[in-house]
Formats: sequence, C-alpha cells, structure tokens
Amino acid sequence: MQTRIEAADQRFGWMLSAPGLMLLGAVIGFPIAWALFTSLFDYTLIMPSYDNFVGLDNYVTALGDKEFGHAAWVTLTFVAAIVVVEFSIGFLVALMLNSTERGRGIYYIILLCPLLMNPVVVGLIWRMLLHPTLGIVNYLLGLVGLGPVNWLGDPTNAFITVVLVDVWHQVSFMIVLLLAGLSALPREPYEAARVEGASTLQSFWHITLPLMRPVIVVTLLIRVIFAIKTYDIIYIMTRGGPGDATDLISYFIYRRAFVGLNLGEACALAGLLLAVIVAMTAYLHRVMRKV
Amino acid sequence: MASIELRSVSKAYDGGVHAVRDIDLSIADGEFMIFLGPSGCGKSTTLRMIAGLETATAGDILIGGERVNDLDPAKRDISIVFQNYALFPHMSVRKNLSFGLRLKGTPRAEIERRIGHVSKMMGIDELLDRRPSQLSGGQRQRVALGRALVREPQAFLLDEPLSNLDAKLRAVMRTELIKLHQRLGTTMVHVTHDQVEAMTMGERICIMKDGEVVQVGAPLEVYTNPADTFVAGFLATPSMNLMPARLEADGDGLAIHLAAGTIAVPEPFRAAYAPYAGQAIIAGMRPEDFHEKPAEAGPFGQLVETTIETVEALGPETILTLSQPGGTAFAARVSAAGTSRAGDKIRLTYDAGKLHLFDPRTTKRIARPLSV
Ligand SMILES: Nc1ncnc2c1ncn2[C@@H]1O[C@H](COP(=O)(O)OP(=O)(O)O)[C@@H](O)[C@H]1O
Ligand SMILES: [Mg+2]
Repeated sequence: MQTRIEAADQRFGWMLSAPGLMLLGAVIGFPIAWALFTSLFDYTLIMPSYDNFVGLDNYVTALGDKEFGHAAWVTLTFVAAIVVVEFSIGFLVALMLNSTERGRGIYYIILLCPLLMNPVVVGLIWRMLLHPTLGIVNYLLGLVGLGPVNWLGDPTNAFITVVLVDVWHQVSFMIVLLLAGLSALPREPYEAARVEGASTLQSFWHITLPLMRPVIVVTLLIRVIFAIKTYDIIYIMTRGGPGDATDLISYFIYRRAFVGLNLGEACALAGLLLAVIVAMTAYLHRVMRKV
Repeated sequence: MASIELRSVSKAYDGGVHAVRDIDLSIADGEFMIFLGPSGCGKSTTLRMIAGLETATAGDILIGGERVNDLDPAKRDISIVFQNYALFPHMSVRKNLSFGLRLKGTPRAEIERRIGHVSKMMGIDELLDRRPSQLSGGQRQRVALGRALVREPQAFLLDEPLSNLDAKLRAVMRTELIKLHQRLGTTMVHVTHDQVEAMTMGERICIMKDGEVVQVGAPLEVYTNPADTFVAGFLATPSMNLMPARLEADGDGLAIHLAAGTIAVPEPFRAAYAPYAGQAIIAGMRPEDFHEKPAEAGPFGQLVETTIETVEALGPETILTLSQPGGTAFAARVSAAGTSRAGDKIRLTYDAGKLHLFDPRTTKRIARPLSV
C-alpha cells in the first residue's frame, strides 16, 4: 500500500523527470520507432512513401545479402582486434600504474587526453599524420631508412591502421576502469599469499585475476558494445575502403541509406544492429547487478 | 620449531617515520611471546619484519639461529595471521587452507590429511566448502588460524588476531590459543594492545612504546616490578596509582609525603631509596594493595584515611575512587561485600611492602630489593 506522502513524492518525481523524458522520447524514442516502422516498408529516398508494405522482407534480404555478411565479418574481426589489444595493453599499463606511487596523477592526465578528444578530430589528425607523401610518420620512417608505408591505401594496412588508431584513442578507457578495479583490491591477501610462497606471477594468477573478474567482464562488455557501433573513425579515415576492407556495419548501413538511398533496408539493418546491442546491454546489466 | 632473535633492529619508513628503534629481543624455541603496547608503537612493524613483509633498515633478524634479513618471506617457514584475517575472498575455506601447500606441490593425499586434521582441531570441518563471506567473524578467525597451522611452520606470528572478535568469543579464543600452543609447542609471537590478553596468555611479555622495547619479562614479573611509569600505568585496570610525592628523611627512616598524608618507607627499602631523600619522586601504588582489614596488609601495613569519590561495583569486587585533598584522586580495589557509598569516609591499610618509587626525570623505577 502506498501512503499519501509516497504518492505525492512520486508525482513530484514524475514532474521533475518529465522534461528530460520528453526530450529523450523526441530525440531517441521517436527515431527508433520511426526506423522500426520504416523497416517494414519498401521506402527509398527516390520514392519516399509508405505505399508498399513488405513485412519482414527487408530483414530477410539483409540477412541474405553477401555485402552485409562481409560487413558483419569485418566488424567482428575489428571488435575482436581492438578489444583484445586494448585489454592487453590496458591491463598491463593499469598493473604498472597501480604499483607506481609517484607521479600517478600526471600519467593519469596524459592517458586521459586522447579519450577526451572527439573521434572525428582523432580521425582527421591521424589521417594527416599518416598521409602517404605529406604525413610526418612516413617522413620519420624515411629518416631511419624505412620505406614509405601506404597506411590507408592498402586493404590489410588500412584495417590494421584503423585498429591502431582506435587503440590509441580508446585504450585509456580500459586503463582507467581496470586501474580503478585494481586499486580497490584488498592488500592483505597479497601479503598472505607472499608468506604462503606465491611468486608475483602466481599472486596475479591466483588472486588478482579472480578478484578482478567482475571488473574485467564489465569492462570488456562495455568496450565491445561501443566498438560494435564504431562509425566516426571509419567515415573520416577510410570511408569503408579501400574496397570494402574496413566496411564496418554502421558505415555499411549509412551507405545503404544515403548512397544506396534504400532507407527501408537500411532501417532493417539498423534494427538488427540494435537488437544485438540491446541484448548485450541487457546481459551487461545483469552481470553488473550480480557483482 | 625455531627461536627468533632480533639484534639492534630498526625500521624507518619512507616518509621518515621511525616505527621501530634499535630493538633487541630473543624469543626462545617454543616460547609464547606477547608484544604489548599501545596502537602505533611498532608492534606490527616488528612482526612484519620477522615475517619478511618489511625489510629492517638496520640490525639482524635471526630465525633458528640463521640470519634471514635477505630471505624471502616464503622461505622463512613462518606463518602469520593478520588482524583482519586476510583470507582469500574468492576461495572456499578448503582452498584457503590448502593454498600454500598447493603452491609447494604437496601431494594431494598429504594436503587432504593435513586439512582434515587441522579443520577438526579448529572446529571448521563443517565449513570447508563455504566462502569467507559466508562465515562469521569467529569462524573466519579459525580459518585464518587453520591456514597458518596446515603449513606446520617453525613459528606463528599473530597480529592482533582477537581484536575483531566480541568480548565473549575473545575469551574463548584466548583459551584455545593457549591450548593450541601447549599442544603444538611451536614458537608463537602474539601481538596485542590488550593488557588482559597479554597478562593471561603469554609466557613472556615484551612491552613496547614509541618503537622501543620498554620491558621484557614474565607477566607477573612485569606486573609486580614495572620498569617505568609507562609500564606501571599500562598494565591492569585500574592501573597502578602514580602519585607525585616527596621523599623526606624521617628520623633514621624515610617517609613519602603525599598530598593525602605520609607513608613510611619499609626498612628493607631504605638503603635503596636513601639517595633520593629530599627529592620529588613518583609513588606507585597498586589499587589492590589497599586493604579493608589491616591484617591483610602484611607487616608493612600503613593506615590511609580518605573520602570516597565514586564506587564502581563490578560484582566480584569493587573499585573505589578516593579523593586526595590537594592531589589527584587514586583508585583502590576492595571486596564486593563492603557497603561503602560515595561521600563516606573510609580507612584502608596500604601494604607498603609493595610500594614502588619512580624517578620523575627518567620515569624509570628506582631499584629496590624485590621481595620483602
Ligand atoms: N607503511 C607505512 N608507511 C609509513 N609509516 C608506517 C607504515 N606502517 C606503519 N607506519 C607507522 O609506523 C608506526 C608503527 O606502526 P605499527 O607497527 O603498525 O604499530 P602498531 O602495530 O603497534 O599499532 C606508526 O606510527 C605508523 O603510523
Ligand atoms: Mg598493528
């Protein structure tokens, strides 16, 4: 049973959140609803009309589409690559930072700098630095006698380059989260383990890793969710190319909508991507509630 | 089993804190030694240096006669029980107990045997599959002790292992630790800031203050002959009454002039105290040396007449706070039978044969013949 005071509190609460909820509804709720609705029609930018209801046809076409399959594969390898690399570097740096006492704040600020930059800016800067003839990176390589590298022009190189730039940009996210987890670990079990004869590596394996498990899982999940949606860097640096070497799903959807002008199918693709991300977020939510 | 020896051991932390200063101490093989002192006096630091978790800045640490300063903690073959237990939170009790043995590659059958033995001894055999978070404070304590036991080390170091337990459980564990020591006969160093624990448990007490050892001795010896005013004031509740006084010649004897009156110095002490005649001293009188019946006070009983300020009836006994006009109040421990009330006048007999005098400049006890 609700008392009158509780009811009044609740009304007041709704009143306070109403403007925010309305705004969210307008800029997020409505577009999602519109996109899902549109995905059920043969709706193109050449003929924008809801005359032709096609049901789930757009989804069926998308799932059978070879190009989409390729984009999904590229996205999968991209996500796997950046998460593995960022996690490995991130954990290593977090462990090192956790055992430093002096200058920790300074390292922290330096590491946070890339994270504070807009991805578009990051893309632009690196595109300049990596320019095959005018870029400073190739110039510096030339000074030590290494040939110019075609960073973004070659399919394999382009994929690796995009991964590396993303790592440069986002690795601090891992560092910061893992470091927070590490510094919250109790100190005593380590001393107990040391007396029991555990080496540094054994302590890491038997104590740090198991105790960090919840933090690791959450960090990885968050990073994967964000990585799947990667768009800006691709748009700025490669436009999915060369060929379709870096054609991530979000960029593929963009092309379907605004190059192919097939909005109905693009919306269906977006719906599929949304489903994956919502499922992962739900799982993340469950994991976080358990720990 | 092994003896432990500290030779001029000091420890200065990075921040410049001198936690331990020039400690000399030798703990015999199989001895139950207590480190007693107020919080921050360097007990844990000393223990951690023995364990190898801190390095000594100066001096030598010997275990079993061998210098271990540069030896890894794991190789010193000692177990340490931490104040907050430091169990591995993600491991079951069984895994906690077997951790060290597993690292050493002890055969599984042997591990099982030892765990079975120790868990029965500590009464935790029902809890082996639980996590530490599913245990009560007392059970965690037992697991922590069990983990120290399974390794069958040469010595146990216990850092305030009972301080997180409630009063009743603490008393139980105290007895159990004593029994455990009797059964194993292994060297044990037990750190505490609780003087009752120290008095009841140890074979010897090492009393520390500001990083230095003040006095080492058997509980009763330390109690009856405290080395200085710090020890006198630290042991027992209520502790020894320390009263500023003057020592004056009185005919061919000596008398102590307190605010409340004078007390004649017993004949056997005269020679020892004579050099201090005419000087300010601190008189140390234990509350339990005041008696209601003059006969109980022995041959050197002296009458003291004062007014009762407060009465604390503890059940088996009563603590009286007695006023001393012009001086600080002092405590007396009397039998519970009395009907004394605050404000009453009271006559007690003080057993001056138990009297101690301290030098106010050095705070050290002035030496006198010990037994009278
Ligand atoms: N890691 C440390 N760094 C600097 N000072 C410390 C450290 N550990 C303890 N100290 C200081 O050393 C002194 C003794 O500490 P400790 O041995 O823990 O005392 P106790 O166990 O008797 O309470 C205290 O003044 C404490 O503040
Ligand atoms: Mg301590």
